[in-house]
Amino acid sequence: MAGDMQARIPSPPTSDLSGFGQLKATSLGKPRFARSEARALAARSLAPIPGLAPLLACLALLLAWDVAARLVAIDSLPSPWSVLNELPKLLSDREVLLNILDSLRRMATGFALAVLFSIPLGLSMGRSRLVAASCNPLMMVIYPVPKAALMPIIMLWLGVGEAAKILVIFLGVSLPVIYHSYQGARAVEEKMLWSAAAMGMEARTRLMRVVLPAALPEIMVGARTGLVLALITMVTSEMIARQSGIGNVLFNALDMAQYQPVYAAIVVIGMIGLLLDVAFEKLRGKLVSWAEPAFPIIAGST
Amino acid sequence: MTAARARLIDVAAGTAPLALIVTLWFALATFGLAPAALLPAPQTVLLRLCALLADAQFLSQCAVTLFRLFAGFALAAVLGITIGIAAAGSRAVGTALTPLVRVLAPLPKIALYPAFVLTLGFEHASKIALVVCDAVFPILLATYQGAMAVEPKLVWSARAAGVSHARCLFSVVLRAALPTVLTGCRISLIIACIVVFLAEMITSTDGLGHVLVRAARNFQTVDMFVPIIVISLLGLLLNAGFNMLRGRLLIGYPEES
Repeated sequence: MAGDMQARIPSPPTSDLSGFGQLKATSLGKPRFARSEARALAARSLAPIPGLAPLLACLALLLAWDVAARLVAIDSLPSPWSVLNELPKLLSDREVLLNILDSLRRMATGFALAVLFSIPLGLSMGRSRLVAASCNPLMMVIYPVPKAALMPIIMLWLGVGEAAKILVIFLGVSLPVIYHSYQGARAVEEKMLWSAAAMGMEARTRLMRVVLPAALPEIMVGARTGLVLALITMVTSEMIARQSGIGNVLFNALDMAQYQPVYAAIVVIGMIGLLLDVAFEKLRGKLVSWAEPAFPIIAGST
Repeated sequence: MTAARARLIDVAAGTAPLALIVTLWFALATFGLAPAALLPAPQTVLLRLCALLADAQFLSQCAVTLFRLFAGFALAAVLGITIGIAAAGSRAVGTALTPLVRVLAPLPKIALYPAFVLTLGFEHASKIALVVCDAVFPILLATYQGAMAVEPKLVWSARAAGVSHARCLFSVVLRAALPTVLTGCRISLIIACIVVFLAEMITSTDGLGHVLVRAARNFQTVDMFVPIIVISLLGLLLNAGFNMLRGRLLIGYPEES
């Protein structure tokens, strides 16, 4: 029952991205220029999780790397094949694995906390003018602050332990999730809320039972951006603070001029990013399969 | 309730949390609840900021950062717009590019920074390369999406009037897609601002990020706040400036939906 109702929710306005590092497709029904139909179809058939295309893309990147390595021919740019050879060695090192697990655990904690905090806040911003008016300027001020750069100050306050790193990831993830929850909640069809109210649903229940599911597709877009940002913030903060984690592994190798491990660590980080993105896309498809698919690509940054 | 009153309430509600934070900060610092070594008073930070903004050395660090920022952003804009338009204009390019972008866009580009340092050195080039990598995708995606959504009739008319396909892309499609392209550019500008700072924090010998790291190593807390404030203000200013430019460029365009 819910699915049918939700299917008609207009997608939130996509134009005012307010710079939250995310872009969403304009409505698919719009006419496109020049041989529009065929092209639109081609673009669409490529868009959703093609199995082969990303693999080919990875291969193309490796080949480009190979060519570059051959052209430059310096020690600090090893060939991709020697780096791929190094991968099993890196991943079978217990120390390295523990560091990676540490990083992932921190990232998951920060991400989960941020999502738990941001979704209710974003939804209430979308439904209450006062909350929105009081939070928007604050968010605008926080937005251009490089979150990972706060690492030294936060470490001063919270010490060098887990808390500082988790807090930085939390800060990095929160903003896009809040923003997209806000946009999603704002675009909820009023009639559904009126119906719910007419049926005697209280305001708080309405937020949970009507607004949350209706805004879910947009929230998922925010969460996906947030996930990308969590990884970016994690890696960046580890590169800045250099104590543990994959970022530290990378820089240790760099300091010792072990070039293959440096590149292998980069590949590992890239693979984590890709796997997370694909996994999240699967989850999103399961949760909000009824909604129009968002543009499959997100670009984000700290 | 009149519109003016509603706006007044909005402004009041908007300034309240900001004022609260500053007051809290002030109270924490003045009543000695937080040691000055950990949290310097806001007025101390402000004074230091003003002093540093008159300091030639600090300004030259800002200039270094700004140079990298704009160089990277300009390259990213040129690359992003060209590739985006090409992908929209030619199906072959679009088909080849989609999976590549799909793989590259969600990667944490900052992880590439060590590779750039190794291949391009510690100077400007590695930082600019990182900025380009991070800033190019929003522009590319915005251009591509904007170009795909352009009214086909515009292109047909131009083609019927004898404009070549390639020229059509730049003189019709790009112009029609300009609002979306500029939105992408605005996102990228902020990203560039953040990324250049982070890159300078990770390894560098100059720039605003380096000022922060140097202060952190010497436990000069006040000096740690100043670069962060400066880079954030810079982001806000660039954003505002870009919005003004955008308004100027988009005169005559229909109000964006």
